[in-house]
Amino acid sequence: MTKGTLSRRRFCQLASSGLLAPTLLRSQAAAHLTAREVVMRIQKNVGVPWRTPTADEFKIGDPDAPITGITTTFMSTLDLLERSAAAGNNFVITHEPTFWSAADVVSDLRDDPLYRHKVNFIEKNKMVVWRFHDHWHARRPSDGIFAGWDRAMGWENYRVKSDNPFSIQYVIPETSFEELARDMQTKLKLRSLRLVGDPKLRVSRVGNSGHYILQCMPQLPKADVLIVFEGREWEAPEYIRDAIAAWEKKGLIQLPHEGGEEAGMDECARWLQTFVSEVPIKFIPSGDPFWIPA
Amino acid sequence: MALLMLTSQVLLERIQRNAGVPWQSQRADGFSDGILLGSADTVVTGIVTTFAPTLEVLRRAVASGRNTIICREAPFYSRGERAPLFWRNSPALPKEVTDNDPVCRAKQEFITRNNLVIIRLVENWDARNTDSQLRGLTRALGWERFHAVTTRSVDEYHPQNVCFQLPNSSLNQLAQNLKQRLRIQAVRVIGDPASSVSKVALTHGLLLVADVERILGQPMVDVVIAGDAVEWEAVPYFQDLVTARKAKGLILLGQEASEEPGSGDMAAWLKSFVSEVPIEWIPAGEPFWTLAQAKASRR
Repeated sequence: MTKGTLSRRRFCQLASSGLLAPTLLRSQAAAHLTAREVVMRIQKNVGVPWRTPTADEFKIGDPDAPITGITTTFMSTLDLLERSAAAGNNFVITHEPTFWSAADVVSDLRDDPLYRHKVNFIEKNKMVVWRFHDHWHARRPSDGIFAGWDRAMGWENYRVKSDNPFSIQYVIPETSFEELARDMQTKLKLRSLRLVGDPKLRVSRVGNSGHYILQCMPQLPKADVLIVFEGREWEAPEYIRDAIAAWEKKGLIQLPHEGGEEAGMDECARWLQTFVSEVPIKFIPSGDPFWIPA
Repeated sequence: MALLMLTSQVLLERIQRNAGVPWQSQRADGFSDGILLGSADTVVTGIVTTFAPTLEVLRRAVASGRNTIICREAPFYSRGERAPLFWRNSPALPKEVTDNDPVCRAKQEFITRNNLVIIRLVENWDARNTDSQLRGLTRALGWERFHAVTTRSVDEYHPQNVCFQLPNSSLNQLAQNLKQRLRIQAVRVIGDPASSVSKVALTHGLLLVADVERILGQPMVDVVIAGDAVEWEAVPYFQDLVTARKAKGLILLGQEASEEPGSGDMAAWLKSFVSEVPIEWIPAGEPFWTLAQAKASRR
């Protein structure tokens, strides 16, 4: 066996013994699709002009190297990257940051052993990470994140028309506040919902207020229940408990950030499959980061 | 007669004199320490310390005849920062929004009608050599005897002295223990519930990545406890630490749960130099309930 080549027989031996990583097997088959080419197709299909500056950039890896498969996810945690590599997908499309800050600033992390560990894993496995945040929210005809969330909840037909993308309203069949929270926990596969309000409150008007109190206030008169995710405790939770103290019949569901948006990256995988067919595409959830002791 | 008239301005000046640190009167962004609402001339009838001046806390203060509230959080759901600080929090609320909001109006009317004074005391309180928030939380947990003092400084509760050497337990047992001691529900945990843990760093409030880096610079910390963390910053940082086996767990108690015992410490401190009026700590209480709790209560 000459250097740099693999005899057909040896290749089959390695493959059947499991010694070849799925990544290697796939790279033989897939043509030479690169991460950069996938991103160019995304830019053509997203339905809005590409804007800069944007967070939607390559965060690490060689965009021009051949890719073996695509993973879409909410957060490119180390655990997610390990699972993606094990699934044979070396291109990860993540909605949220890789290096623990909104702008993936790594200048302060050069001496951080965890940063080195994560970079080493990515480099060793020849992975590429690209963030898809701003333009997936801006996608036309609809925000890809909340289209996916509606689908995961089965709420596509309950949405009330609104022009404000971070102020989505739903009218759902009437239920109790607690049943609504339970349904959401099940459908979004969550563990760490935090709730404010009377469990028995009858509810049907639900408002998605994103992260901030500035989005909660205009929605409150139109909703029985507000949903927030990745919000600070001094904002919506204090606001809703004061609303209740002021005799308003309201509830708040505070989801983990992932619970508010990860289903949108499942939608992203489905969407990518309509214009990328050379490599496998899989949504792998990064999942609710938390558990709550019983 | 003059001696009996403690105004909110006189109270504030007395706090400034007793803080033990040069008083910082301005923050670069957001609300500063001092009187947020109410008049400097108001005669103080009694003092309530609390984490957050919720409408319920204000009602209880009025019911017990106390008109001056000293707190960490501001009354209207914002710390007053102009822009989202790295997108972590909402921009400051424009006045036309709060003026038209029924909840803000109800609260403002209650404050005005009852002649209340709301005093913010955070940055100067936290700048003291004694971290009273840490001391309050340590005592609420009954962990004084486990305190491993690592920084040789004058004060046992210096802000850097966050390490505790606890008896071995699982991460799940530790989290359960915190829930019970603090009587809270929404404790959020990262890490394997079965991990064996004993070295704990106890912090309060919002945990940032730089805090975690500093804390883990100390030898062999298994678990970090904090109030809250941003879910694209210290949260995934900690998830990655656990995956890389560089730490065992993160336990988030909630902002209120982690900071409230410090308000008890503040009440005791105020009593050392304010004797004219009654002083009482009224905890705002945890805002949340959880589905696990709802299930347990039906059993």
